Amino acid sequence: MIDNKQNSKTDPVCGMDLSEAADFVEVLYKERAFYFCSDYCRERFEKNPEKFQREPLLKLSNIWKIFKLGNMETQVLKGLSINIWKGDFTAIIGASGSGKTTVLNMLGLLDRPSSGRIFLEGKDVSLLKDEEGAGLRSKKFGFVFQQYNLMPWLTAYENITLPVVFAGKNINSERLEKQIQETGLLERMTHRPFELSGGEQQRVALLRALSNDPEIILGDEPTGNLDSATGNKILELLTNLNKIQKKTLVIVTHNADIAEKADQIIALKDGRLVKNHQTQRKMYPE
Amino acid sequence: MFKSFLILTLKSIRYRPLRSWLTILGIVIGIMLVVVIFALGDGIQNAVARLLQQFGSDLIIIFPGKETNPLFAFAGGQKFKEDDLLNLNKIRGVRVVVPMTIAVLNVEFNGEKKSVMFHSQPWREYRIIAEESQALKLVEGKWPESDDSREVLLGYRVAFKLFKTRPRVGDDLIIKGRRFKVAGIFSEVGLQEEDNQICMSHKDFQALTSQRGTASSAALKLEKGANIDLVAKQIKFQLSRQEVVRDFSVLTPEKANQIIGNVFSIIELVLVVIALVSLVVGAVGVMNTMYTSVLERTKQIGIMKAIGASSEAVLSLFLIESGMIGLVGGILGIILGITLAYIIGLAAANFGVRGLFSFASLDFFGFFVILVITFITGIISGILPARQASRMEPAEALRYE
Repeated sequence: MIDNKQNSKTDPVCGMDLSEAADFVEVLYKERAFYFCSDYCRERFEKNPEKFQREPLLKLSNIWKIFKLGNMETQVLKGLSINIWKGDFTAIIGASGSGKTTVLNMLGLLDRPSSGRIFLEGKDVSLLKDEEGAGLRSKKFGFVFQQYNLMPWLTAYENITLPVVFAGKNINSERLEKQIQETGLLERMTHRPFELSGGEQQRVALLRALSNDPEIILGDEPTGNLDSATGNKILELLTNLNKIQKKTLVIVTHNADIAEKADQIIALKDGRLVKNHQTQRKMYPE
Repeated sequence: MFKSFLILTLKSIRYRPLRSWLTILGIVIGIMLVVVIFALGDGIQNAVARLLQQFGSDLIIIFPGKETNPLFAFAGGQKFKEDDLLNLNKIRGVRVVVPMTIAVLNVEFNGEKKSVMFHSQPWREYRIIAEESQALKLVEGKWPESDDSREVLLGYRVAFKLFKTRPRVGDDLIIKGRRFKVAGIFSEVGLQEEDNQICMSHKDFQALTSQRGTASSAALKLEKGANIDLVAKQIKFQLSRQEVVRDFSVLTPEKANQIIGNVFSIIELVLVVIALVSLVVGAVGVMNTMYTSVLERTKQIGIMKAIGASSEAVLSLFLIESGMIGLVGGILGIILGITLAYIIGLAAANFGVRGLFSFASLDFFGFFVILVITFITGIISGILPARQASRMEPAEALRYE
């Protein structure tokens, strides 16, 4: 594993560890040296240097994740470090098995790293107790999944308010009603998931993710099961949350069009961060 | 919070109706069995208590053999000399001695032949005991005056159920080839033995069976204010001097109660064990279902955790579910158990066994206890599966397909 302390060359924007990198961009800013993985990160930094000298909202630091299946060990993440910035739309891209979902699970405190640390607003949250993790998840995060993952035995409305029940809070019916109206689901609230179309189910799932008014929305291929027209509508809802309500949005996707709209692209290959974001966009054209 | 969880659980149970009902059925059968068993136990106890009441509080019963179960000892083989029994009359405090013999004889009425239990005793003395101590009344006819008048008294069911055409007072029955006149009919007692027997005078019976001067048992009625324990001791002493029957029992009401109490504590123990076993079987069913349900809902557990459910919340959901299964099973078990006991009771009454079931000890408190027990059983059987569910890592559970 890489020792961070001796060679601390870290990209302040994307969070990539550059201590063993063959090439990187070095910039002096106010008499301090900064290292960037690529010109893309350098440009972002130069546009808003104050932002990138603060603590990122979410930070993965040298994360390793090893899955054991019997005697077989699979290294899914290999010393990954990334930053997620408040109010940013981050797209995580990469081929199947590159560890995208695992990264998202780490960011959403659904999974524990085998080693390495996770920081939320500068606080180490990698070794939280179960209950603390649940509390943070219900307060800070909203999840949207590819398979919608609604409870089949609950109506749309009950699905949407389920996180509020788990948070032990009262339903903010005014805000909820407005959101339901905005998504055009008012007529469908008493329906069960199997009575809804895929797009409707995903909108219900999105409203569920928003029910506790979280800061961060995490989406695992949220449009992966939908046709492109429906998918685009869902994506529009998501990006509007980012643009209008300033929610931090992290989406795992295969779709280059989605990634194109992101403020930051995290490209993964074999559990490692791939350098140079601009070339990344060309590496995964589909 | 609990209310929301309860609603969530009910919806989840209703989503898988067949599975849920089958599990509930396991508990229902167990509790049904418990209710029927307890009702039966109560019923038997009541029947025995009534039997004892018939003996009256001032009666002493003497019969050959050890004081084991007084219900079955009367049919024992050895016989006393009648005179030995009649001599007990000389003991101070004894008012009447009624020597008795029991035998099964063939009876013919209107060409129909039946085997009936016969009970023989001297009329005059027996009438005192029957009317004063046992509250035994005649619904028709009157007590025979003389011991050699060849008259019989019929038990209620012998008169009304045994024969196709019912014998009436004044009709003749042919017993062992001889004619006997029906003098009267007893009112219904509700006990098999009493209602299905024919009473005959001791003299007639001895002439009929050529068993002269013997009796298989005796009932003694005491004078008012006599010390029953003292009299019983004197009876024992006097009887120990006769040599025909070496082993005999002198049964006072108190002693009978004691013996029956002992028998019943054993029966009750057996019933409790059966009840526990059936409850355990039901609990294993609940546990099995809950484990399957946890496995089935692994992904849902992952989703719930992802959207903010704590391990505690998942644990509560599963525990409430298993508790509800137990509770609903308990409620239905009680209802079906009572229905079943009632139906069996009606059927039994049709065959002359009245009061086979009693719900005396199954009052609201009893039901409440049963429900608490089933609820707790449900929760206990749910603990292990629920813990497994609550401990799942959310990411791992989400990966499960």
